[in-house]
Amino acid sequence: MLRQLYNILPDTGKKQACLQFCMAAVFAGLQVRGGFVTVLHFEYQMEIEYEENVGRCYYTIKCIPREDARQHLLGMEFSILPETEHSIGEDSFGNKQIYGCETEPHRQFIFHITGDVEIIQTDYEEEAAEEKTGIFRYPYGKCMPGPGLLRYYESCDFSSCGNSYEVCVELMHRLHRDFTYESGVTHVHTTAEEAWELGRGVCQDYAHIYITLLRMAGIPARYVCGLIIGEGASHAWVEALCGSRWLAFDPTNDCLVLDHYIKLGHGRDTSDCAINRGLMWNGGAQTQKISVLVEKRERE
Amino acid sequence: MEQLEILKHTDKINELLARYGVKFGIYKNNVFKEQLFPFDSIPRIIEHKEFEHLEKGLKQRVMALNLFLKDIYSKKQIVKDGIVPEDFIFASSGYMAECEGVAPPKGIYSHISGIDLVKGKDGSWYILEDNLRVPSGASYPMIARELCRRSSPDTFHNHRLEDNRNYADLLRRAMDYVNPGGHTVILTPGRYNAAYFEHSYLAEKTGAHLATGSELIVEKDNLYYISSNGVKEKVGAVYRRISDEYLDPMNFNPESLIGIPHIYEVFRKGNVALINAPGNGVADDKGIYYFVPKMIRYYLGEEPILSNAPTYLPFYEEDMKYVLAHFDDLVLKDVAEAGGYGVVFGSSMTKEQKQDFIALLKREPRRFIAQEVIDFQDLDIVDHGEIVPRKADLRAFVLMAEEPFVWKSGLTRFSRNSDSFIVNSSQGGGFKDTWVLYQ
Repeated sequence: MLRQLYNILPDTGKKQACLQFCMAAVFAGLQVRGGFVTVLHFEYQMEIEYEENVGRCYYTIKCIPREDARQHLLGMEFSILPETEHSIGEDSFGNKQIYGCETEPHRQFIFHITGDVEIIQTDYEEEAAEEKTGIFRYPYGKCMPGPGLLRYYESCDFSSCGNSYEVCVELMHRLHRDFTYESGVTHVHTTAEEAWELGRGVCQDYAHIYITLLRMAGIPARYVCGLIIGEGASHAWVEALCGSRWLAFDPTNDCLVLDHYIKLGHGRDTSDCAINRGLMWNGGAQTQKISVLVEKRERE
Repeated sequence: MEQLEILKHTDKINELLARYGVKFGIYKNNVFKEQLFPFDSIPRIIEHKEFEHLEKGLKQRVMALNLFLKDIYSKKQIVKDGIVPEDFIFASSGYMAECEGVAPPKGIYSHISGIDLVKGKDGSWYILEDNLRVPSGASYPMIARELCRRSSPDTFHNHRLEDNRNYADLLRRAMDYVNPGGHTVILTPGRYNAAYFEHSYLAEKTGAHLATGSELIVEKDNLYYISSNGVKEKVGAVYRRISDEYLDPMNFNPESLIGIPHIYEVFRKGNVALINAPGNGVADDKGIYYFVPKMIRYYLGEEPILSNAPTYLPFYEEDMKYVLAHFDDLVLKDVAEAGGYGVVFGSSMTKEQKQDFIALLKREPRRFIAQEVIDFQDLDIVDHGEIVPRKADLRAFVLMAEEPFVWKSGLTRFSRNSDSFIVNSSQGGGFKDTWVLYQ
């Protein structure tokens, strides 16, 4: 029934309304399974150019889509140039990671990954294990409230919210109203509090601030790094534990996460799931070029 | 009196200690200063029966602490069962999310535990703190004994004294037990570290390679030691004398120059033992200390053999009330600080200081613990030719292999000034040998 309902709702606004209905249903404890299945094809490329030769370079790349109830990896391949021996593993948040060391001198480093992901929009990840959620309830790293965010939180009124899902939605709307999107004013190390004081920022800042506020409200929240249709770079959004399910919110776009989002990794803040972490000797100045493509594939 | 016989050699032994480089480096106001760690030759003597009791209690404690760490980084059953509040885990600076779900070889987290105790005037011992990260200090009584033995051999024939030269064997056994295959190295940050003497001494005594981060390299999920002639040898166990934070710039502090990139991935895959395991800080901060007796009951189903100093957690309302009512009788400790810092005595504060402190305590109750001031036994030391009493503690070393083993010796530290209760060596005290007698 839901599937049919969804299919006759072509535009995003209505899909959003439908999804909202589903989430409310999920929250009320109703079973909503196998809702809408979408296949997304993705490509991600990171190209780093160095001014001088890099003698040795360690890298850890977290760019393989996660496998969970909501998304399944149908296939993928990746390449690293210059070619190096690498290992694949998982970090403590379950994010897949590719890591290794390039020992030959090089001026260019290219990572490329492509693959297909199946998204089952309403199969939210269920988290019964309490021991895995506590950690997302505590302030950490870039998500530490300062005086600014404390004041803002105190000004929020949740009296009309009947449950944590509604608190999430209310906070998302508020934040979207009170924070302005602007690129170039913050950087990767900007904290939630700093961005808040500035009043402007990008998806990472929206996510950090939103997480900080949700945790203040006692709702476990985690930072999600991923890819979406129509964005030339990676995107960041937030998952919040409502009841026993991780529901996903995109505070930058003030919407619930739909079927055009591919999740790569999650963590307490951006640093736990940064797509690329590197350590190099020499190299001088570097320029980084990132290209992302996500598109819907028709199912055969 | 044989004891007096050693006394005659104090100066000579201190001279030798200085020559061997038995120093303690400290950073103060960003300046590195190396100072001698003065040796006092009157030993602390522990009778056989008394030590037997300590031994039982220490083994029990270290067993429980290891089980706690294993639990915290997996199921967290002790939290679910309401014994330890979640706050004391996730808000602890020693908790490391990176350790979640990573099982160290043989499930051992604390291979070398340094447990600090004091002896009260009533004759009973109290645990002061647990050190499960990188506890240092075993080398001092080792070398002091070696030198005393050389200058006064008779002393050691005439007493029923347990030999302490087996520390290296115990350490080696603890390292070998968890080694999944390969060489054993002691990882040092280098000669400017406070405990560099100890690193090199223990390497020599255990036969392990002494290495700095730049001599170790990760390749394909294995760790290798590159020897000076360029030969690459697989490493299976690293007794690392650098803190978690600096261990791996790819996983922890990216600024670290003394660590080994990706060593944590090798550990994650079970190809190297890190001694002690990362993440132990969650079990040895001053806040969690309060819960150790509860852990012993919870994991082992036994009553604790050794007591904690009576401790209050302002986190609990009832304890907060007690602390405020008895403020002047208590010593307050900041759980995040170590090395004798962040310790204040209620009675020594001015009225204003007290007001400020109480306000802070109410604002951040989790940050502090309060303890009764234990009236602990003084030990005699020789100061400028005179015998004078000083406050002293004992760091006992527990080494874990198939089972825990308590070293029959230990580091006895004393305070520099007669009015000081703080015996931490980073605050300039001295040390004694610890004699354990056999029957």
